[in-house]
Amino acid sequence: MLKNYLKTAWRNLWKGRVFNIMNIIGLSVAVACCIMLFLTVYYEFSYDKFHTNLDKIHQLYFTKNGADKVEKSTSMPAPLTPAVKAEYQDIKYITRMGNGGTIVRYGNKQIEESIRFVDQDFLKMFTFPVVKGDNASPLKDLNNVVISEFVATAIFGKTNPVGKSIELNYSGEPRSFVVSAVVKDFPQNSSINFDLLLRFENAPEYQANMKSWDHHDHNVFVQLNDNVKPAVFDARLQSFVKKAFKTTIADMKRDGARPDAQGNVYTLNLLPFAYNHFDTELVGLEGNSVNKTYVMALLAIGIFILVIACINFVNLSVARAFTRAREVGVRKTLGANKWQLLSQFWIETLLVCLFALVLGIVIANFALPGFKATFRSQISMNMLLQPVQLAVITGLFILITIIAGLYPALLMMRYKTVMVLKGTVNTVKPGKVRNILLVTQFSLSSLLIVCTLVTWQQIDYLKSKPLGYSKDEVVSIPVGNSVNGARSLELFRNQLNGEPDVVAVSGAYDNMGSGKDGSTRTSIIGFTYKGHDIHTNIQGVSYDYAKTMGIKLLEGRDFSREFTTDSNAVVVNEKMAAQLGGKNVVGTYLPMDDKKPSLIVGVMKNFHFRSLRSEIEPLTLVLSGYEMNYIFVKVRPQNLSKTFSMIERKWKQTFPNADFQGSWVNENTERQYKAEQRLSTIFISGAIIAIIISCIGLLAISFMIMVQRTKEIGIRKVLGANIAGLVLLLSRDFLKLVLLAALIAFPLAWWLMSKWLQSFVYRIDIEWWIFALAAFIAVGIAFITVSFQSIKAALANPVRSLRSE
Amino acid sequence: MLSLQHISKYYQTGGNKAYVLNDLSLDIDQGEFVSIMGPSGSGKSTLLNIIGMLDEPTNGYHYFMEQPVHQLKEKQRSALYKQYIGFVFQAYHLIDELTVYENIETPLIYQNIKGAERKALVADMLDRFNIVGKKDLFPAQLSGGQQQLVGIARALIGKPKLLLADEPTGNLNSKQGEEIMELFSKINKEDGVTIIQVTHSEKNAEYGSRIINLLDGRIESTTTL
Ligand SMILES: Nc1ncnc2c1ncn2[C@@H]1O[C@H](COP(=O)(O)OP(=O)(O)O)[C@@H](O)[C@H]1O
Ligand SMILES: [Mg+2]
Repeated sequence: MLKNYLKTAWRNLWKGRVFNIMNIIGLSVAVACCIMLFLTVYYEFSYDKFHTNLDKIHQLYFTKNGADKVEKSTSMPAPLTPAVKAEYQDIKYITRMGNGGTIVRYGNKQIEESIRFVDQDFLKMFTFPVVKGDNASPLKDLNNVVISEFVATAIFGKTNPVGKSIELNYSGEPRSFVVSAVVKDFPQNSSINFDLLLRFENAPEYQANMKSWDHHDHNVFVQLNDNVKPAVFDARLQSFVKKAFKTTIADMKRDGARPDAQGNVYTLNLLPFAYNHFDTELVGLEGNSVNKTYVMALLAIGIFILVIACINFVNLSVARAFTRAREVGVRKTLGANKWQLLSQFWIETLLVCLFALVLGIVIANFALPGFKATFRSQISMNMLLQPVQLAVITGLFILITIIAGLYPALLMMRYKTVMVLKGTVNTVKPGKVRNILLVTQFSLSSLLIVCTLVTWQQIDYLKSKPLGYSKDEVVSIPVGNSVNGARSLELFRNQLNGEPDVVAVSGAYDNMGSGKDGSTRTSIIGFTYKGHDIHTNIQGVSYDYAKTMGIKLLEGRDFSREFTTDSNAVVVNEKMAAQLGGKNVVGTYLPMDDKKPSLIVGVMKNFHFRSLRSEIEPLTLVLSGYEMNYIFVKVRPQNLSKTFSMIERKWKQTFPNADFQGSWVNENTERQYKAEQRLSTIFISGAIIAIIISCIGLLAISFMIMVQRTKEIGIRKVLGANIAGLVLLLSRDFLKLVLLAALIAFPLAWWLMSKWLQSFVYRIDIEWWIFALAAFIAVGIAFITVSFQSIKAALANPVRSLRSE
Repeated sequence: MLSLQHISKYYQTGGNKAYVLNDLSLDIDQGEFVSIMGPSGSGKSTLLNIIGMLDEPTNGYHYFMEQPVHQLKEKQRSALYKQYIGFVFQAYHLIDELTVYENIETPLIYQNIKGAERKALVADMLDRFNIVGKKDLFPAQLSGGQQQLVGIARALIGKPKLLLADEPTGNLNSKQGEEIMELFSKINKEDGVTIIQVTHSEKNAEYGSRIINLLDGRIESTTTL
């Protein structure tokens, strides 16, 4: 029986191959998209799940309920950890984690690696199993170093590293450490990554930092005892905070801090480590946190595409099935019962779905590299072979075949055999359901079109908004670790001296935008000024910073080599000046350091030194005390690319051992909106795929309907209707549906995109024309699709269609 | 073998009942060859469909092989149908996607007959109808007469006791029609299959043993030959 079913199924599929190929294309594209999207979503949700204690691990952070805003910070002072541990029995493990970079020397090998300074509990809390060496207490001694397998191979090759000494240079003077253990490489979906683990006591300035509760520079993780509730512990922590940060709290209260519901202005809180990967609010978390909205957008688009493809599948199957009503009738007269007929149709559907699944996997395989690059996804096709994925795929597969295969079959079986055989069931329109399905498809498509248009517009706005400094003619070069910043700046300045295309050279502590080195630094200091608390961002700069960056000075002057006292001078922005009282701040002193107040020599016009996601904050430029991490070169607007090559060449001459990672500042500022770019890429890809699949369905349905209406068209033509009128008549019903779909989608789209835009301080308004444009696009594409068929039908020779009746 | 008593069938059109069959009674014995005649719209097809259980009367009693069909559940009725009845249509209604062989085989599949037995039965049938050479062709590749031959072979493959034919020669020329009628006679005589056919042709009707004339849903006259 099965063989017979398969044979018939195959012949039927072949007979309806135009439909079935459309069906399979639509479905397989959807399958490919869904595989990639759902795997990505799964991957993001799998972050850090490999830690066996994940649910019990929390990260500490401070909440500062200031007068005008709430600030959260994960940076902790060094003495906090031992103090908290001594105070609370609830804590099972606690570890600090500070960062550093080092040059590792072993024999005559020398490589750069990153360091995590941790406490001994670190390896007990987190699941980074030791594969070689001391399993019990790998960081027992202060001179122990734990390395990852990857680093072990990089340094030692095939020899066993355990017990070997390596020399690390991370603080200016080389020190020797003994490798006590090698741990398994962290998986890709780990927020915490490391090359080398050293005891926290080895961190630079450890002794000094242990005396200071104001110097916050590392993260702290705790694992609570099994029976302790995090919320309870969180509440209990506050008595400690009140004791340890008495002065901070007093200062905050004086400056009008607004206490939270419990009456606290400064609190220490717990962030479950399980949320770490999705928390984009707290700055300074480990790993690349992703916005949950972004992941949900991927999920939603995956579901949209799947729904659209399934709708297509149902619509196409129904359309096809109606051409087979007679066959069903005949089979009934030959003694087929309901289940036999249903299984026949189900097998056909199963075959189509199977084709689509296989083709989809093949497509996904081909599209994967591009997808991974575009969406920064870490997935691989092997992930499909895990039991959860296999179960989900099988489940979805069966569900889809049942819905898409059985629904049309059931529809057909409702018809009376006699009528079908007489031909009086004129392949009746499955009107309502089909229309609802079409509207759903195009609603989803319209939604994606609006999302695309809004994100495009917003990104364009972000890119083109003047930032208050010149970004088009400035090259920013990250200095890198291998050379000293200030010295290399001087060297390079001399090198470029006399180059006709170079206007000015300067340097700074922090980059503008996000450079090729990918790092940003933030330095904020607070101090008391005329009896109230002042906070300001600090940017360490070199001479000519304002000139190089094209920043306008409103009052006073930039730093100058002619004033030796400028080493202790500052230049502030308008916002900072306003905070200090507004007028006549030039010439006054800023008590950033009580013993040595700094003279304000100039006030700059506000400029966006951070991304447009945030407001301009107070900023103070200082000449000394900060490393020069970036060199800026302002060039003449002519021959930009030639000048860029010249700078690169000069850099390589001057620093043969350092990489050249220079880039235009406008590239850096655009890089800040990579997440938004990615979101818009998702929307546009989703929209295109959704529309293509919807149109495949529309095409097939319009084909069906034209066939049904051949006679009517013939009669109208004989009666004198013209082609254009006929095309319009035939397309009108579809266009009405698409328009309706768009109208349904718009409120939702508006709501969604307004929410999204709220994450930007600087944003566009969603204007009516976006919706008009989206509707026009949707209707336009639908019209083109339908008119393929309607024009063909309208052009057909009426005599033929009438005679065939 | 078959008894219809006071069968009526009407459709509700607007407020009126449009009677297609009006209090019609009819008995047919095993081995008869009955021809039903009458003008278009007189209810011939409806009558045949009711007999073949493809359609249900609005009222009346319907017995088939001693079973009260009007009281049976759908499932029992279709079992009865499967076992005893074969249908032949004016428009042949072969399944386009199946070959001649497969078309004839299909009813056996639905009767859950094993492959080997099916093979033998179909081979026999092909042989008997002289269409062995055509067994791998598709319906579209056959003439009308040949298609109807396949249709009859398919109707007979399940060894029905009753063969129902609705204008089996309606789409055929007179020579082809004659061949079909000869075949019917032969089936009727040699295999003892009861046949009820609807026809417009006097000549074809006379192959039967009894002619029933329908008019407006009633039996107007019966002629026994
Ligand atoms: N579904 C229906 N609704 C209303 N009238 C019907 C329906 N089906 C058949 N009829 C009517 O029943 C009558 C008899 O039809 P039929 O049995 O096919 O006649 P015949 O086969 O003798 O030409 C016709 O007048 C037809 O219009
Ligand atoms: Mg008829």
